[in-house]
Amino acid sequence: MKRVVAWLIWLGLASTAMAADEDKDLELIPRAEPAAKPAVATRSADSTARLYLEDALTFNTLRNDLLVPAPPPLPPHWEQRLLGDARVEWPLGPSAIVAYSGRLNIVAREGVGFPNRDNVTHDLRELHLSIEPRPRDYLDLGRINVKSGVALGFNATDFFKARAVVDPLTADPSVLRENRLGTLMVRGQHLGDDGSLSLAYAPKVTDAAPIGEDPDRGFSPLFGRTNASNRWLVKGSARLRDDINPELLLYGENGRTKIGANLTESVGRSTVAYVEWAGGRRLGIVDEALVFGRQTGAIPDLAPNVIDQGGKEQFRSQAAIGASYTTENKITFNLEYHYNGAGLSADDWSRWFAAGEGQSASSPIARQLWYVRAYAADRQEPLQRHAVFLRADWVDFLVPKLELTGFALADARDGSTLLQLSADYAASDFWSFGVLASATTGGRRSNFGSLPQASTILFKVTRYF
Amino acid sequence: MSRQSKLFLAAAFATSLALPAVSAVAQSAQEIVAASDRVRNPTEPFRSTLVLTEYVSGQERSHSAFVLFSKLDASAHFSNLLEYVEPPRDAGKRVLLDGRSFWFYDPASKTSVRISAQQRLVGQAAIGDVLTVNLAADYTASLSGTETIDDAARQKRNCWHLELKAANDTAVYNRVEYWVEQGTFRPVKGKFYSDSGRLLKIIYYRNFIERLGSVRPAEAVIIDAVDSSLATIAVFSDSRFQDVPDAWFQRDYLPRLQVR
Repeated sequence: MKRVVAWLIWLGLASTAMAADEDKDLELIPRAEPAAKPAVATRSADSTARLYLEDALTFNTLRNDLLVPAPPPLPPHWEQRLLGDARVEWPLGPSAIVAYSGRLNIVAREGVGFPNRDNVTHDLRELHLSIEPRPRDYLDLGRINVKSGVALGFNATDFFKARAVVDPLTADPSVLRENRLGTLMVRGQHLGDDGSLSLAYAPKVTDAAPIGEDPDRGFSPLFGRTNASNRWLVKGSARLRDDINPELLLYGENGRTKIGANLTESVGRSTVAYVEWAGGRRLGIVDEALVFGRQTGAIPDLAPNVIDQGGKEQFRSQAAIGASYTTENKITFNLEYHYNGAGLSADDWSRWFAAGEGQSASSPIARQLWYVRAYAADRQEPLQRHAVFLRADWVDFLVPKLELTGFALADARDGSTLLQLSADYAASDFWSFGVLASATTGGRRSNFGSLPQASTILFKVTRYF
Repeated sequence: MSRQSKLFLAAAFATSLALPAVSAVAQSAQEIVAASDRVRNPTEPFRSTLVLTEYVSGQERSHSAFVLFSKLDASAHFSNLLEYVEPPRDAGKRVLLDGRSFWFYDPASKTSVRISAQQRLVGQAAIGDVLTVNLAADYTASLSGTETIDDAARQKRNCWHLELKAANDTAVYNRVEYWVEQGTFRPVKGKFYSDSGRLLKIIYYRNFIERLGSVRPAEAVIIDAVDSSLATIAVFSDSRFQDVPDAWFQRDYLPRLQVR
């Protein structure tokens, strides 16, 4: 009997202790009612907009012991950029919108006087009309950014990425996409309950602009970058199961066709695996660069090839295979393997260094060798054949609203790397401060170790409206 | 028969008597959770605005706001589509939370990235998801007992204290402690735990008003249990029933969503 009484007393005490524990939680409830109501209720129904002003100051350090010297112009030692970025949609009725997305830059940099026509530039990313004539049937007309791909570091199926990035402030491939030019096109899309089909046609409206030169940059839409050939894209996706939604792509340019596929799959509660692949008949990237260089006058017609990849057109694949993993501490890791069947093999690299070693920066040989690298960068295509990409993103690092992001892109052949670390602090709903540091590492005969840019540091402040 | 053997037999007998009772309780616990789910959200598709105010050490720090489209699917899970309206830096970002398929769309990069169940908890949008989740569909409930606890307004409430265990992969949290008021089935409080058993969030439901055809909580206080100086008050407003086509709940619809 005593035991039963003791047990009942213990139960009563335990229950009281538990209730007291629950009462402690009440102390954590903020006593103040929300003071300032967000503008969500008052925001204009006439348009949706995202506007910000950003000031970015960049310093570069350059290598002066390059095995193959880079021809001018070299990256500036410093650059100051004030930019106004806008993305606005205006409704034209219940089923039509006009969308604008662009950026106005005011730039001062080493080697560019002030005032100068290169000081003020405008990037017209998008300007298009979208209508929905029937529910979930869409027709878009104008300059449109069409993006594809599920990987973070390299999107083999992102066929419209080539030549679309201007003046990047970061080397992070997952952020590069934020300021890229759309393509002038007409696009139709049908969205069914369990899938989507879209067709896009982008006409040639002008000749290809030479790489690295935008002679009338200013406020030009730069169609010479985005609409210098006739292109088309058919893209379809289907929801086969709750969590399986593969995407297939068919792309055509200048009579050549590529196919592509994207697939993602959830693995457990913390991991997403993905694969992205594209393939088609084409030249190696060196041969392609030389053809393009001659077409645009960058390489004289009669100049001999300093380096080539055999000039053979064949079926070549590009792929990214990877996975993301998120920890309980709000860190997300992405690990990817990248393959470019058109990239440089070990032999190609040996010949690249052998051909350029000891040349002067202004020699035609060095110019041709570096033209190949500029061509690959301009097309956002990896020059290396095999690469490993690791990215980490830590939200609320040390303090709330501080986000730390870092990535490493390593050439699997020589181990050279491109590294970047950035921190962004959202000081309020309207102000952000950021710092970014990047560096290339590797030996003098390595991919990233042979680049003129050794390291970069960037400070930025952003005001959102 | 030794004293220990007698005790063992008595315990076994008591357990055998208790088994059917436990089963009945488990069944009714599940019904309590389901009834509470119906108090929190309707079964018809709806649209709502969700304003979140974040506090650090009791001081208001920042705001975010979403427009939320929610629809119950055939398996009694809510499919959610959210668009950030505030703060300005995030305006236009969208999140699709549909069964086991979660996508994040950023209009700046115009790309959709698939995220894991764990990664969906990183952003504020997860709060919208947590508030619409049908706990009965994702968790197996058992009754821990009855308790009188204070609600967010420090009013005494006679509650069922329920223990919820994740029943499938779509469950956002591994374990939930849940207090539901007896008689009204109004949710009073929830404690949400990670896979490792760590207490992540404490949620108080409050301000029960007529909303979406019934009396439902219009506010939730979400306390970050990992860093208890952080808390968020979530307020539903502008709630209305709206047809939400199934076609909206796929990656390719994300760039097309118009919240006007």
